[in-house]
Amino acid sequence: MNCNRCAEPAVMHAAYSGAHLCEAHFLESVEKRVRRRVRRDDLVPRSATPDNPQKWLIGLSGGKDSVVLTQILYETFHEDPRIELICLTIHEGIEGYRDKSLDACIELTDDLDLTHEMLSYEDEFDVRMDQVVEDDPENMAACAYCGVFRRDLLSNYAEDIDADLLLTGHNLDDEAQTALMNFLEGDVSQIAKHFDASLGPLSERRSSEAFVPRAKPLRDVPEKEVALYAHLRDLPAHITECPHSSEAYRGEIQQLLYGLEENHPGTRHSILSGYEELAGIVAERYDADGDDPDLRECTECGSTTTREICRKCSLLESIQAV
Amino acid sequence: MSTDPPITVDIKGEEVQELEREALGPDPTYADALAAVDLSPHEVSVLVDGRPVPEDQPLEATELTVLRLIKGG
Repeated sequence: MNCNRCAEPAVMHAAYSGAHLCEAHFLESVEKRVRRRVRRDDLVPRSATPDNPQKWLIGLSGGKDSVVLTQILYETFHEDPRIELICLTIHEGIEGYRDKSLDACIELTDDLDLTHEMLSYEDEFDVRMDQVVEDDPENMAACAYCGVFRRDLLSNYAEDIDADLLLTGHNLDDEAQTALMNFLEGDVSQIAKHFDASLGPLSERRSSEAFVPRAKPLRDVPEKEVALYAHLRDLPAHITECPHSSEAYRGEIQQLLYGLEENHPGTRHSILSGYEELAGIVAERYDADGDDPDLRECTECGSTTTREICRKCSLLESIQAV
Repeated sequence: MSTDPPITVDIKGEEVQELEREALGPDPTYADALAAVDLSPHEVSVLVDGRPVPEDQPLEATELTVLRLIKGG
């Protein structure tokens, strides 16, 4: 089978579009989708100039998604004086796992000559995920602790360096799963928050001075295609699963989506596209109702939160009490 | 009596399985071989001689390498 666009052999079939693409046309198609998403989400504002460049912080874990995101953003913007790219890796304290992916991050950022910083749970919070999983004071999945700590470090670091945008490598599968989970949980306010936090075009979001806005430019690309892109370009992505990975509900939704996609190609795209439209309407409605959460400073760490003590600090308290 | 050679499916980091071509039905595709080892084409890539192949294509090779997706960032 040859590529639909040239005479080279196809390396992939996208059932949702019917396309068979060769390596060169497949790589080009992924890059085009990422750049189109950057444009559609208005990520480069008119106010960005060489004298007033935008500072973009990329959450770089060393896995395929963030490595592909970093590579494409670099190739898109490295000659653009309006955008400055900085990468941040979070070390969770997972023996033999994050050390290897950190090597991938260092190799990539050295190759691209990008500024790269690393923060660890151990240095910042005096905890390691290996120990947290063993103690498990809240009887939760590892990812529930880890996600809170990671988001805290990413957003605080973004604030500290005065970043204009925090970018992460969430792909189409990740976002379609989250959309479906929010919908199945009936969590309409979470859907509105999702729009304002990372989904909506920057110009349409309810802005919050308290948080650096987030963006997910890979979210039009299925996870499989992100992996294929990393493989074909031989990018230094780390390919080992986190030993503590255990999101049971997300795994169930993932399997459900594989089945739906098999029988009805394009399901993930249509879920996310409908969800984004719905999220925009709901966010506008909440905005009109003035239904904003009261934000205040955490009495422990000063982070912006809706509670007296933020989630990170309350988890740290539980962990330290063991 | 089967005359076709078996299909070897090497799922990287996991196991190697052998499939009888006849058990995959008439005119099987690479996706049919994946289904026989309980994998969805959305969670793996199939390589033949180190090159990815579209899963909807007729199964011509007898040695497949399967790369599983790894979750995470």
